[in-house]
Amino acid sequence: MRETLVNKKQNLSYWAIVLRQFKQRKMAVLGIYVLGFLFFVAIFAPFLAGDRPIYLVKDDKTYLLPNIFNYKDLVYVEFDRWQPGEGDFSLSPLIEYSPRRTNLRDKLEPPSWEHLLGTDETGRDVLSRMIWGTRISISVGFVAVGIAVFIGVIMGSLAGYYGGKVDMVILRIIETMLCFPGLIIILALIAFLGRHISIIMAVIGIISSPNVARLVRGEFLKHRESDFATAARGTGLSDLRIMFRHILPNSLAPVLVDATFGVAGAILIETALSFLGLGVPPPTPSWGELLEESKRYVDFAWWLVTFPGLAIFVTVTAFNLVGEGFRDAMDPRLRQ
Amino acid sequence: MKAYLIRRLLLIVPTFIGISIITFAVLQLSPGNPAFMRLQQMRGAMGGEIPPEIIEQTKKFYGLDRPIHERYVIWMGKLVTLDFGNSYKDNRPVLERITEAIPITIQLNVISIILMYLISIPVGVYSATHPASRGDTSMTILLFILYSLPSFWVAMLLMFFFGGGGGSDSLGALVTRGFTAVGIEDSGAGRWLLENVFTFNWFPIFGISSEGSQDWPFHKWFLDRLWHYILPVFCLTYASFAIMSRYARAGLIEVVRQDYIRTARAYGFSERIVIYKYALRNSLIPIVTLLGMLIPSLVAGSVIIESIFSIPGMGRLFYESILGRDYPMVMGIFTITAVLTMLGLILSDLLYAVVDPRIKFE
Amino acid sequence: MKRLSLLLILVAVLFSLSLGLRGRGGGDQPADEAASPPENAGTPSDTAAGGPEFGDWLVQNISAEPAHLNPLLSTGDASTSYMGSFIFETLLEIDNETLEFEPHLAERWEVSEDHLTYTFYLRKDVRFSDGVALTAKDVRSTYDLIMKTENDTANLRNYLQDIENVEVLDNYTVRFHMKKPYFRHLLVLGAFDVYPGHIYSKGDFNNHPNNRNPIGSGPYVFREWDTQSRQIVLERNENYWGERGPLDRRVFRMIDDDNAAFQALERHDIDINEIPPEKWVRQAAKPKFEREFNKITPDSPLPGFLSRFNYIGWNMRKPQFEDKRVRQALCMLFDRQLIIDEVWYGYGTVLTGSIYHKAPEYNQDVEPWPFDPERAKQLLTEAGWVDSDRDGTREKNGVKFEFELTYSTGVPEYNQLGAVYQEELRRAGIKMNLNPMEWATFQERVHKRTFDACMLAWLTALMPDPYQLWHSSQAETGSNYPGWKNEEVDRILDEARTEFDHKNRISMYHRFHELQHEEQPYLFLYARPGLLALDKRFHGVELYPGGIDPLEWWVPKSMQRHK
Repeated sequence: MRETLVNKKQNLSYWAIVLRQFKQRKMAVLGIYVLGFLFFVAIFAPFLAGDRPIYLVKDDKTYLLPNIFNYKDLVYVEFDRWQPGEGDFSLSPLIEYSPRRTNLRDKLEPPSWEHLLGTDETGRDVLSRMIWGTRISISVGFVAVGIAVFIGVIMGSLAGYYGGKVDMVILRIIETMLCFPGLIIILALIAFLGRHISIIMAVIGIISSPNVARLVRGEFLKHRESDFATAARGTGLSDLRIMFRHILPNSLAPVLVDATFGVAGAILIETALSFLGLGVPPPTPSWGELLEESKRYVDFAWWLVTFPGLAIFVTVTAFNLVGEGFRDAMDPRLRQ
Repeated sequence: MKAYLIRRLLLIVPTFIGISIITFAVLQLSPGNPAFMRLQQMRGAMGGEIPPEIIEQTKKFYGLDRPIHERYVIWMGKLVTLDFGNSYKDNRPVLERITEAIPITIQLNVISIILMYLISIPVGVYSATHPASRGDTSMTILLFILYSLPSFWVAMLLMFFFGGGGGSDSLGALVTRGFTAVGIEDSGAGRWLLENVFTFNWFPIFGISSEGSQDWPFHKWFLDRLWHYILPVFCLTYASFAIMSRYARAGLIEVVRQDYIRTARAYGFSERIVIYKYALRNSLIPIVTLLGMLIPSLVAGSVIIESIFSIPGMGRLFYESILGRDYPMVMGIFTITAVLTMLGLILSDLLYAVVDPRIKFE
Repeated sequence: MKRLSLLLILVAVLFSLSLGLRGRGGGDQPADEAASPPENAGTPSDTAAGGPEFGDWLVQNISAEPAHLNPLLSTGDASTSYMGSFIFETLLEIDNETLEFEPHLAERWEVSEDHLTYTFYLRKDVRFSDGVALTAKDVRSTYDLIMKTENDTANLRNYLQDIENVEVLDNYTVRFHMKKPYFRHLLVLGAFDVYPGHIYSKGDFNNHPNNRNPIGSGPYVFREWDTQSRQIVLERNENYWGERGPLDRRVFRMIDDDNAAFQALERHDIDINEIPPEKWVRQAAKPKFEREFNKITPDSPLPGFLSRFNYIGWNMRKPQFEDKRVRQALCMLFDRQLIIDEVWYGYGTVLTGSIYHKAPEYNQDVEPWPFDPERAKQLLTEAGWVDSDRDGTREKNGVKFEFELTYSTGVPEYNQLGAVYQEELRRAGIKMNLNPMEWATFQERVHKRTFDACMLAWLTALMPDPYQLWHSSQAETGSNYPGWKNEEVDRILDEARTEFDHKNRISMYHRFHELQHEEQPYLFLYARPGLLALDKRFHGVELYPGGIDPLEWWVPKSMQRHK
């Protein structure tokens, strides 16, 4: 991988090569499709499941997207009990059940045409809860990894570029952080600070950063003495500039791979937390929380056990496939 | 090598200090500390949080009303003497409760580690020596799937299907129907099988020993114990098979490419000897160092698995202490976990020195 | 037994001192007069003619590990008291059938005309399990231990505060002088667990080594507390002065997971357990289960109590819950009958007050508030809670109607109740946050009154006296968690305490019940029987008015599992 300062075109072609390699791996592409689907579900959840209509004409007033916007007139309308009257019109989301609507008489029903994935212990629709749970999982995954990459890049680049004492200190920090298993430190912090999604995201991010830092440090060590870096120093560019505008872009490849696997890991931790009853507090639906509920009914409510678990499995697999795809695509020895 | 060892051991000190700092930071969040109080106020929790006695108790024990450098010294002192105070739950010393629980966790983890290596290495070797074969591909896919399954889900499914849950009933009913269709359900063998084997109630799902087992003869007690360990150990290990066999495979492939292997082959040694005598040892280097990385994930896994199977180990103790806001207990386990992990990392570094001949000659 | 222990019952100890009183089927005994000499304690034999056969164990589940085995400490819970009831003994007993007093440690007793002096004549043949004789001095030292302020016995001290002094007349006679008359004094004194003074008076009672190794005079002695395999084992006291228990051992396992406990029951690893309603109608209704287990539904899951009821307690000190119209509205937003039908499969009765619903003191004429969300919304608006900014939550004087409902994680059905109630409240413009927490932490919160609203249960006791729960003097440090301070209520409760005419007392408590209903310091949910399944091999299982009596149970030799 020979680079020069000026020839951005060659820079691009590296990624073009990676992209092409990636596209040739069918499983990785499948993973991307799955992820795309999950993103879609997470973003468009209010259109997919809920009892607030997408478009409403009521009492001669028109409302646009009441499922997203809180219209003051509609605050106390109970949409699950409201019937359109004369001249009214409402366009409902795909699944007409809100993830929060309880209905004890329909509790613990197996999948049916009414409730495609069945109901839980309070009669809430499982499919609706899973759709909204996607938001939590995806957001926790990405924000956490975002934090991890941010911190890890800073630590790793400083260590790799300056070397010497700075490197030693940062290495020790990394090593110390690695002594704390992620789940343990999150649980400890939740015990002290309480259950909050921001805490969960922040902590997962912080504890995932050492790995990123190590990778970045390795790459920086490699590139520090390379031609383009030496040339940059020769032209008198500041250290920061060299680090972040020249070396870093070439070091991102393994970070990307690690980040992808990292999202999968973060999602697993979040669901594990919810499963232990220490994740995002109710009534926010989360896949892990659905599984936690299913524990009590594991004898007969197979739909509560299967579907959330399957969702987690598919999501994690997709991220792993994509991560593997990136890794193989970037490996020069595996060119197809 | 000596120099390496000494250098490595010396590095314990800064890491230990680092651990003490991080744990100290977390300690600042405990009730009774000014930082904690301010945080609570900021969050504007409506119902109050902690009863005053707990606050007083915590304050006194950790010296939370002293200036910060004094607090740190107090904490260091407690760390070094492993004095974590008394558990809020039953007022017994934290260390005592931990020492009761830790043997079980260690047993589970040691068995898990041994199993992981026992299975991953042959699998990795097979994959490396038969690349892209049917075996290799199907193995890779299977391992990939295993790696992506959440452990708590797997545990629940196992309970459901093989631990006497509704799944066991369903499977049992299925097999019964099959037997009836073939017409053997009434035969002696058929009946025995249906009632004893195909109830699918194969594994215990709770605790580490059966009722009254402490009165059994040793071998029976021992086997009963192992039987209780099967499901938890499986749940702890299956995910790692993928990673470790991958490492073994990659390591072996890397080594096999080397010149000295080519030389060995040129000498006319059988493939078997080449692999097992020469290549394997060197390829094991990276996988040995994995040991250090395994420990944190095993400890984290223990929390979940022990809770699900109600195993009275340290992971479960930690979880219960979190729920019960038993702060001394939480700090105690938290710190000990970190120290153990650090020791594990050092152990793997030392093993690395032992296994890698290149280091011997430094 | 998961449900019948700590997770539901908040300090049931203090609600009733009858916890120590075990009933025995026996002859009539007039309650407040000198009793006749005792009948002979049966001579121990392995097979009484046609009676219980000796042997076997009863293995129960108490779900969570107790902090200790000292029932007198307030940090104990119902399981501590339950296990303690086999180890320690009380001066008197309650007959299972008639609910009248019977002699136990005291052979006979005398009550003075003015109800101020109670004299107990103790048996002379009672020994503690370490061989030392039980004397009147032990009664005295137990009293001293409870009254000592450093000891963590505040709950019990509350009951004994009326005792002027305790006189030890001789080795086997003890006399209590009371400051004022109270219709329940005989029960309070009779339910006195007598501890061996020579052991417990030395050292720190709160952290006494014998708190994990109790020594008493009862029919069972402590054998071991195995923290590894998580069980506590009691053994029959072979030197017991009275009728020896038929069962060799009583084992208490700690299985907190519902599924695991049920499986353990099916496997006969445990012999009795309370069954969650879902399982009661599914797994426990299967033919194999019905063949092997008896399903019994006593009004109270725990012996020694009459019934159990669930409620939501409002912290009346908070602005949200000050107005009684609001509290009534909150009651009308909870569909209790629906919960009973759907969550408990019909096993429950809607309540309007805190007294045992089958006792004459319960006012059957009080009609429960109906489930009526519309009327509730009206009441809320009347009380000044209006959603002026239309953000979905009502407010008044700048305070939003938002609060936290705390409850113990031990009862999964609370999640269902909580979720349903949360939804209903949201529709009415009230934001309720659910905060389940572990039992011990929850207990602390309730004790310290740092909750907004709490959901839990009480076990009701014999001879109801609402004073403990509802008098204003109990508002800050006693069991009056909501902090209800009502002058008329205080007056009624004070007067009723010295009213020895049962009929008069009944009508006074009826009026009190009306006030309870009107003021709604609790949202009274329902009385719920225990859903218990017991291995069929146990004989002698009776469902008395006083509940079940596990001491009587025995297993025929042919069916015994443990030798």
